Amino acid sequence: MPVPFEALLPFGIITGMFFASASGFQAVKYYSNDKKFHRYNLDKWELQMMERDRRLTGSLRGQSDNAVAPTEFATNSVWYLETPRDKGQY
Amino acid sequence: MSTKTPSNLASNAFVDSTPLPADIPKVDEVGATSAPLKSASFFIGAYCKDYNDDFMLCKNENNDPKHCLKEGRKVTRCAIDLITKLRENCGKEFEAHWQCLENNNQELYKCRQPERGLNTCVFEKLGLKKNIPGA
Repeated sequence: MPVPFEALLPFGIITGMFFASASGFQAVKYYSNDKKFHRYNLDKWELQMMERDRRLTGSLRGQSDNAVAPTEFATNSVWYLETPRDKGQY
Repeated sequence: MSTKTPSNLASNAFVDSTPLPADIPKVDEVGATSAPLKSASFFIGAYCKDYNDDFMLCKNENNDPKHCLKEGRKVTRCAIDLITKLRENCGKEFEAHWQCLENNNQELYKCRQPERGLNTCVFEKLGLKKNIPGA
């Protein structure tokens, strides 16, 4: 008796759902990274360099090999702030 | 749980746009981003070794930013000089190497072939060798 293809259809649909969600994730990562591959294993150094790239070019993955930075670069560094702490924490 | 631990981070960030005081000599900042800098890193080490060593030793004495401004300006000028020379002489190989790095998580071992082209071009035109310290 030949294999009943109707029984395998649900498995095909489930596998197709896996492919669809994986492709969706890959597309989101690709388009949010300026159409470049996502960067992984980022340590604090790389994150700081990417923040510097954002200050130079406007995007975390933007690159430029100008020798001299635009004039805004000298003063556009960002300081992250804290609210005053409770006295009880000391 | 985590909703109850107090967090002291504010939601706004602060950008201080006041420039440096006028009595400090004005030097442009290096405009290269991370991938070109990584590509040129060994050549910056070879070309600007004296200024870099001066700056590191100065920082070793005193980590205050005001203490090492002069050595820092020299380092910046030297790096700008080298990147300009790299772009003039070996522009294509330089661009190829850092574009390759940018597509490969900025890992040097994945981009050896463009790197070979860049190393030969830089050695012929600028006389700089890639020297891995400790090897």
